[in-house]
Amino acid sequence: MAHALPPPARQTGPLVWLRRHFFATWYDAVFTLVFAVLIFWVLDNVIGWAFVDAIWRVENREMCTHDAGACWAVIESRGRLILFGLYPYEEQWRSTIACLVVIVTIILSCLPVFWSLRRLPVLWIGGFAAFVLLMRGGFAGLEVVTSEQWGGLSLTIFIFAAVFVIGMPLAVLFALARRSSMPVIAKSFGLIIDIVRSLPLLTLLFAAAVVVPLLVPEAIQGNKLMRVVVAFAIFFAAYQAEILRAGLQSTPQGQEEAAIALGMPYWSVVADVLLPQAFRNTLPSTINQAVITFKETSIVTIIGFFEVMASGNAAIGNGEWGNQYIEVYVFLALIYFVFVFGLSRYGAWLETRMRLGHG
Amino acid sequence: MKRQITNLIAAGTLALSGAVAAQAQDQGVLDTIIERDSLLCTGHNGSYLGFAEVDAQGAWQGFDIEFCKALATAILGSPDKVQIIPVSWAQRFPAIQSGDIDVIIKVTGWTMTRDTELGLQYSRPYFIGPFYVMSKTELGATGIADLEGGVFCVNAGTTIERVLTDYMETKGIAYEPLAFEKGEELRAAFYAGRCDAIAGFGPFLSATRINAENPDDYEILGDVLALEPEGIVVRQGEDDFLDVINWMVSALLMAEEAGVTQANVDEMKANPPSASVERLLGVTPGVGERLGLSDDWAYNVIKTVGNYGEIYDRTVGDGSRYKLPRGLNNLWNNGGLLYPLVMD
Amino acid sequence: MQQLFASHKFRRFAIQAGFVIVAILILVSLVLTGQRNIADQGIATGFGFLERTTGWPMNFSVIEVTGRSTYARVLWAGLLNTMLVGFMTLIFATVLGLLLALMRVSTNTVMKLVGATYVEIFRNVPVILQVFFWYAILTHLPSPRAAYAMNDVIFLSNRGLMLPAPMLSASDLWLLAAALAAGTFNLWRARAKPGTGRRWALVLVSYAVLFALLLVTGRAPDAPLVSVPELKGLRYVGGITLKPEFTALLVGLVLFGASYIGEIMRGGLLSVDRGKLEAGRALGLSTFQINRFIRVPLAFRAMLPALSNQYIWLMKATTVGIAIGYPDYFAVVSTSINQSGQTMELLALLMGGFIVINYSIGFVLNTVNERIKLKGRS
Repeated sequence: MAHALPPPARQTGPLVWLRRHFFATWYDAVFTLVFAVLIFWVLDNVIGWAFVDAIWRVENREMCTHDAGACWAVIESRGRLILFGLYPYEEQWRSTIACLVVIVTIILSCLPVFWSLRRLPVLWIGGFAAFVLLMRGGFAGLEVVTSEQWGGLSLTIFIFAAVFVIGMPLAVLFALARRSSMPVIAKSFGLIIDIVRSLPLLTLLFAAAVVVPLLVPEAIQGNKLMRVVVAFAIFFAAYQAEILRAGLQSTPQGQEEAAIALGMPYWSVVADVLLPQAFRNTLPSTINQAVITFKETSIVTIIGFFEVMASGNAAIGNGEWGNQYIEVYVFLALIYFVFVFGLSRYGAWLETRMRLGHG
Repeated sequence: MKRQITNLIAAGTLALSGAVAAQAQDQGVLDTIIERDSLLCTGHNGSYLGFAEVDAQGAWQGFDIEFCKALATAILGSPDKVQIIPVSWAQRFPAIQSGDIDVIIKVTGWTMTRDTELGLQYSRPYFIGPFYVMSKTELGATGIADLEGGVFCVNAGTTIERVLTDYMETKGIAYEPLAFEKGEELRAAFYAGRCDAIAGFGPFLSATRINAENPDDYEILGDVLALEPEGIVVRQGEDDFLDVINWMVSALLMAEEAGVTQANVDEMKANPPSASVERLLGVTPGVGERLGLSDDWAYNVIKTVGNYGEIYDRTVGDGSRYKLPRGLNNLWNNGGLLYPLVMD
Repeated sequence: MQQLFASHKFRRFAIQAGFVIVAILILVSLVLTGQRNIADQGIATGFGFLERTTGWPMNFSVIEVTGRSTYARVLWAGLLNTMLVGFMTLIFATVLGLLLALMRVSTNTVMKLVGATYVEIFRNVPVILQVFFWYAILTHLPSPRAAYAMNDVIFLSNRGLMLPAPMLSASDLWLLAAALAAGTFNLWRARAKPGTGRRWALVLVSYAVLFALLLVTGRAPDAPLVSVPELKGLRYVGGITLKPEFTALLVGLVLFGASYIGEIMRGGLLSVDRGKLEAGRALGLSTFQINRFIRVPLAFRAMLPALSNQYIWLMKATTVGIAIGYPDYFAVVSTSINQSGQTMELLALLMGGFIVINYSIGFVLNTVNERIKLKGRS
């Protein structure tokens, strides 16, 4: 007589969980152990350096030697230089508010409520204008601060925001031109986009800073910051245009044809039918592009702007704090990390949200 | 149709080149500065110790910056009317050619290529930079020849790269060069021991040594690689502007020679000890006019920044952290190479 | 006239013609303004300076460069340096990226965690900062006199990693090339015939033995086969040196690039149909075999377009080398601008160089993509 065997015992409990996730095979086990030791070692050293042995106050700065931990006193002493660069000391509150305005603008535009082709541009242009007015001054008794004196984090944010505001419409233009049915226009813009994409950003910025003034009549040159921002925006647009083009291609051809058949004019087809979908479909890539752009603002330091990286370098470039460069670099890395990590987490959140939305 | 298009292109081109031509015959820089009421002068993209550095308040300081202020005071009457534009080493010549800046005061060596091919003009030297080599004390080198086979770090794109190559080739010393774009990275590499020596501008080396955790670990060797006269640079054809610069440098030196200082300049002006001081401080009218400036221009300059010696002392000399000896940058009667011109 | 304009065809023509005319006008006016400005300021122009000697040496170069080399040669050396570090970055970053991607899709939680942490850290910090970091570490190693030594043949110091190097003359290299070519040819022939699969090892070994024999018998009696680094004065002589500038740039770019490539590859791996993997498992393939024969090849097809963008991006990122004293193309051009003052000509050369490199990469990868992509589907 045959017995029905009992079902295999359901394996639960912490040990099983551990086994399944960490020690499934012998090489999993080796890997887990090696990395556990490694992680412990790194954490121990980092925490020791950054917190336990660290020197926090300027009063104790003579304790900052090679053997001691991190010398965060340098941040207390030079932090304002890193954050504000050459901006006049007494006026730095303006720079702070201007920064906050842009950050709020960025956060607001991340909310789905603002995702329309009418609201988003208004929000961005408004926030941007407020930023420029505050930084520049020249009204209501505010002292004029020319863009040569802008610096630090607010300059980084300004360049980022300006590149976005100018670059986005340009990107739309580039993308539409490249998929235009007119061969001359499509080919020319294709060529421009490909060339810009194969050049390092630095060469474009360098050309904008030093060569453009020789080639363009003085009347339309603008100042150096403006030229560099425009060149940066063109670079951004060339990348973003390709992202948008992919988005435009992913909307079914039938929709465009239907809209034209309904007698909608070209611009209306683009603005009301194609672009909203293209933007929505490419949001993750767009955010990725924004992340890259934010990091690349650090490149303008090479052509003589005092954005946060350059002012960080200036902070250690004056005799007093020359040896605390690691602390300053870590501080800079943290600043970038906060912005970039925030943006990329948001991108990941959007991705899952959209995947859910579309089934 | 085709002809029309050709005509159209021709017409458009003509119109554009007309606009260009109109722009080309603009006024001299001096007039532009006075009209704009500010002087655009060079800073640095970061810090160049002692010459252009940024303090914790984000304000510019240093020897070159003081000369920018002096020039602004001479022309516009106030040191606040100078705008310091940060530019990198590589950017300074394109920046002046394009008009982003009015003048380069950025320890710029007077070389033939720059003078003849870049469309630039140099003032009389305002600083004499000797090039030295600094190495680690522990290597026990007494001269450059003892560093045979070592790694020499230099600032990329500066005259020193060529000077060092020449020197080593002449003396037949083998070495390995390593060039850095920025001073910060150069210093960091040297402290870390990536290079056995830095070849460079004397003041830069001293500043680097003072900045080290233990300055006694490093020493500047006695051999002078070469001298570099540093001039103030303007665009070709700006003769009036160059006159102002040359005489400003001269006035600073003359003030030192005659003992006119920031502290006693008012007293000196009230009862001048000599006819030349009278002319310098504008007691005798007419000197400023010849340069297109006010008569008390030199008085203003000395009142705001002091004489040459005071500027030196405050920014790189004994009064500063860097404690550079005056050396060749002393007045001729103190064993240096500097001398004022004759103001008659 | 009105009728004419209403015609769709004419309107298209007019718009395009107008576009061309405006573009030409802008170009012409740029050139004219440029010429006038340059003439006004008495700046010398033209490419004549390329023939002049530079007067400065280079720290690191594949071809020999001295103070007496011409600008043309120095620029060429810079371009080679960029290509060297660039292509090595692409290779290593791809391998590391693949490992990361496999870690992130594995079942081991620690592997997943390490992979994710790695990607988040290296992706979110500007690459220039990372390169600074690695350079600082490498330059803080002990000095040559106190170098870490392994059996007195390998040395690690702040001057770099010194390794013994084979001393091959030009004729030896030709010999090696000939042996390789013959071996490859043989293998190819063997592959063409069925049933000869196992012979390749034999072929390879016999060619290696032949090459070694020729090498030993064919050289001068006293010449050593291998040159070992040895401390002389302040430096090591002999062997080959991996300089810190090169290493830091390479490590920084590889670690940074791998985080991006890893993410692209993870996307590619996830896009592989689960059913195919399960089918592989059902056939009794090991994890390694499933990865090797099913997952990676299929994923490769899906991720190639994104990958080629990333490759071009990495190639451009080599320009941060200037910050740590690696004489890449950009650094060399920048120094040349400073020394010769020929800004526009040199910028044009700089842009031209990058366009050529990146178009070549794009072309090769597009060709591969065309070859491997599924036919008959878009």
